[in-house]
Parts: sequence; C-alpha cells; structure tokens
Amino acid sequence: MKKDHFRKKNRDLALMSLPALIWYVCFCYIPLFGIFFAFKHFTPVPGEGLIKNLFVNSPWAGLDNFSFLIRSSDMPGIIFNTLFYNSLSILLGIAVPVFIAVLLTEIHSESFKGAVQMVMVLPYFLSWVIVGYLVYAFLATDEGMANHILLFAGSSPIQWYQSPQYWRFILVITEVWKSTGYAMIIYLCSITSIDRSLYESAVLDGAGFWERVRYITLPMLQPTICTIFILRIGSILNSDFGLFYQVPMDSGSLQGVTQTLDVYVYKALMQQANFGFSGAASFLQSIVGFIMLVTANTIIRRIDKDSSLM
Amino acid sequence: MNMNRKTDDSNLIRTETSAYSKKTNLVMSILFVILSIIVFLPILLVFIVSVSSEASLNELGYSFFPKELTLDGYRYLLRTGGYILRSFFNSVLITAAGTVTGLLLMCPLAYALSRKEFNLRKPILIFLMIPMLFSGGLVSSYMVNTQIFHLQNNYLALILPGLCSTWFIMILRNYFQTSVPDSLIEAAELDGCGHFRILMLIMVPVARPVIMTVAVFLMFSYWSSWYPSLLYLDSNHTELYPLQYVLVNMDRSIETMSHDAQYMSGMETYTPPAVMVRMVMVVIVILPVIILLPFFQKFLKNGLTVGAVKG
Repeated sequence: MKKDHFRKKNRDLALMSLPALIWYVCFCYIPLFGIFFAFKHFTPVPGEGLIKNLFVNSPWAGLDNFSFLIRSSDMPGIIFNTLFYNSLSILLGIAVPVFIAVLLTEIHSESFKGAVQMVMVLPYFLSWVIVGYLVYAFLATDEGMANHILLFAGSSPIQWYQSPQYWRFILVITEVWKSTGYAMIIYLCSITSIDRSLYESAVLDGAGFWERVRYITLPMLQPTICTIFILRIGSILNSDFGLFYQVPMDSGSLQGVTQTLDVYVYKALMQQANFGFSGAASFLQSIVGFIMLVTANTIIRRIDKDSSLM
Repeated sequence: MNMNRKTDDSNLIRTETSAYSKKTNLVMSILFVILSIIVFLPILLVFIVSVSSEASLNELGYSFFPKELTLDGYRYLLRTGGYILRSFFNSVLITAAGTVTGLLLMCPLAYALSRKEFNLRKPILIFLMIPMLFSGGLVSSYMVNTQIFHLQNNYLALILPGLCSTWFIMILRNYFQTSVPDSLIEAAELDGCGHFRILMLIMVPVARPVIMTVAVFLMFSYWSSWYPSLLYLDSNHTELYPLQYVLVNMDRSIETMSHDAQYMSGMETYTPPAVMVRMVMVVIVILPVIILLPFFQKFLKNGLTVGAVKG
C-alpha cells in the first residue's frame, strides 16, 4: 500500500519532468550526432533525410576537415583573435566589476546604490544589434560623432569601419561597457552576504579600507571569482558572435582583427556551405573547452577545494 | 516596522565600521555619478539623434546638441505603419510565447528535482549538465532544426530553440528546495494534494520572486534575440521579422518602408534620411527595456548567485 503510493508520487514527478526532458532530447541531444559533420565529406542527396545523407551518402573524411582547417591561411589569425579577446575579457570581466563592486559597497545610501546598479546593468539587456548601432553613432564616417569631433579639432576624419588598427581597442571597450554592470551585481550580491561582524572586528583591530578589501572581501569573493573563471575558461574558444559580427557591421576590411572562431563557424556554414569546416571548428571549440574546464577545475580544486566547480 | 529597525541597525554598524568619512562617501558618490553618466551617454545619444532634424544631422552629424528638434522620424514610421507595426507585433508575440512556454516547461521540472523523494533526481541532473559541456555545434543544430523539425521561416523557429536553460532550472530548483519550507509541502501532502496541485497552489505562489526572476531573464533575452532570425528566416519572409532583425537589415528595410509609405499615401512623400530612421528604430527597441527595467530590477538579484550550478 505504502509502496504503491510512493510509486505513484514518483510517477507524477517523472510526468512533470517529461516535457522539458523532451525539449532537451530534441534541441540538445539529437544535435549531438552532428559531431560527425566534422569527420565526413557531407554530400547530401536532395530529397533524402538528414540522417541518411550524413551517415550513408557522405564518405568518411577521417581528419581531413581538421587538417585543411588548420592549414587554411586565416586560421592562425582567427585562433589568435579568439584567444586574445577571451583572455582580455576574462581578465577585465573579473577585475573591473570586482573593483567597482568593492567601491560601491562603501556608499551608504541604498537608493543611490540601486540607481547606479540600474544604469550600469542596462547595457547588459541590450542586444548586440543595438550596441552595434550605438557604436555606429560614434564611428559612422559621415555623421559619426567621433569624426565631427575630429573635424572640429581640425584633424581629418577617419574611416573607422575601414581602419583595423583601432578595432581591438573598440571591441574590448564595447564588451566592458556591455558586461561590467551585470557582473558587478553578481559580486555585489556575494559581498553583501559577507558577515558584517568580520569588518567590525577588523576595524577594531585598526584595519584600513584596502586592508579590509585585501584580507576580508577578496578572500570571501574567491569562490565566486573561481567559479566564474572556470566557466569562462571552459569556453575559451567560444566568443560572442554578435560582438564580432554585428558590432563591426561585418566589414570586410576589419576581418583581420575582428574574426573569431564563432564568426568563422557561422560564415563557413551560411556563406560557404562548408559543413565539414564548420563542424570541425565547432568540434574543436567543444573539445578544447572541455579539456580546459576540467584542467582549470582540477588545479583549483587542488589549491582550494571549496572554490572548485565539481 | 521590523524591516525599518533592521536597516537602521545595519546603517549604524556601517557608519561605525566604515573608515570612510562623509567626505569620502561624497567623493565616491560623485565618482559613481560620473561613471553612470558615461555608461548612459551612448543611449542618450541615440535618443537625441532620433529627434534631430535632417538639417541638423547634415551639418553636425550625430550630436548631443542638435540645432533643431523634430519628430519627423517617428511620424514617418507611423505613416509606413504596417511594416513596423508588424515587426513590433512579431517581437511581442515571440517574447510572450517564449517566456510563458519556457516557464511552463522549466517550473515543473525544477519542482520535481527539488523533491528529495524523487528517484530520478540524480540521473536527470546529470542529463541536464551534459549539454552545458558538449554541444553538436552550429552546423548540427542548424541542420537538425531546419531539416528534421522544419524550423525555418516560421515563428516556432524563433521560439523553440531558446526555451530551456539548465542555468534557469538550477536557479528555480535551488529556490524551491531551500526557500520553501518542507513542512508546507508535507502538510499539503497529508491533506491529499498531488504534486501537480502542490506546484500550482503552493509552490508557484510562494516562489513567485524566483519565477519572476527567470521570467524577466527570458523576456529580455527573447526581446533581444536576433541570431535565430539570422539563421532561420530568409529575405522572402520579411513579415516574420522581429524588430531586432529589421534593424540588422536596416538598409533594405528602409527601402521597403519608403515603398510602403508611397504606396499608402499614393504619392511621393517626404522620406527622412536613413541616418535618422535608423536611430528612431533603435529607440523603439530600447525604450521597452528602459521602461521595464526599474520595475524588474528587484527580481534580478535572485538569479545572480553563481553557486546555483554547484547544487
């Protein structure tokens, strides 16, 4: 009797889980077989199903896609860009928000803090399309504010969307502008959960502001920082497609400094219909990311068990 | 009353412990005012540009201090009516449908995972974690979605792929598990409530803050979404374009609009310059976010505990 009752309850719970699980099968698990795109010369026969086309009609490619991909002349630049922007983004994406959050906690007025947070988090909720146009308002060749300021100052205008030398800087600033506010709120939440009595006794012992930050705030933030660091390392070869495709307005002359692996994956698929290359690049992203995540997690766990992810 | 006491106390402690004098507090405040203004400037600029006159744009470009103001851009978009209204409707539809369906899928699952007696808890958690580490990549999800599920040139293509996220499910589950007292659930069970009724009648009302949090994140993400449109809509289906994607194709969209405007008024009408129409469109997309954010801000924090995935 009791066992029956227990079984029915579990059945209900399983039933409640079912719709979302079906979604996961359709949109996460079925596409997993697509890693085979990386190892096949995809030659679809029109009118036949995807599975048959991929597994029966397409010959095996071994590692051909990978070796062609790595030998293609763009690839070193693309990999460099991806790693360059990601390392900066991890570094600035932790240092800047932590710094600002620490300063913000020193302000007394709660309503003022709330207002600052609201303004700073606003960019996070704008799409890259919008951000692209905000950047465009400054950098457009004819109407852009930057060029009008240059003209006003007596120098000649710059064709921003044709001048790759400025874009590393522009893209990094844009990303900091968009993501800092949100990250800052994450750290702010962690800081407010720190026991106030720690600070009280520190002050009684004569600790100044920087000492309290150094010996209380930062150590208490460490688990949060480490978790975010590990997750970011896990996507070291991924990048924000919108930032690198939409913000430079897909300008050809900027490709050298703006093209990252995600843009390449998109273009190889949608513009060149090169399934093998696109699949191989995606596969690299996934596998390198996984290895990096596990490595970072293992190292951090060895140093401090509480800061690691698993 | 109780609340007030608490804030008073913490303020007291703060003033005692903070080595900062009133003067430093002031300096910090000024610093943050400046920082906030810098962050807000680009957004302010597009608002100003959207109401700058054509003559002013020609002379000064996109400027914070236009020579004269005009609502020409807005009037023009109203006149072209159909096209913009349609894409506005598309954005609202996708946002509403995505948010509601997403919650309907994720809440029951999160509830099931929050029940300790559920025997499939562990396996399902692992099942949800794996996609965070591995994915088939763009080629594969594009091919599967278009060829197997026929998600191409329809609304479902813009809604379905973004419905669930392991992150949100974990946030919901953690709240259900830790912030809703077990005794409440047990009492309901003793009264003979099934799990479906417990979820609807007890869990949802009690856990409203966290459900709102996930709803807000879903809502903003669907409102901002444009990548699915880029992948799954082609140029023969402009009637499905959400606002964001109209903006991606702005130059072609402006052509369509001026065609519509002429068609509707039957003659050559004044067409404001593309440089203005563009920014008017940007404002139309940003405005709902700016208006809604203050109401939703209090919900954001619930979702921001990074520990959620560790569970």
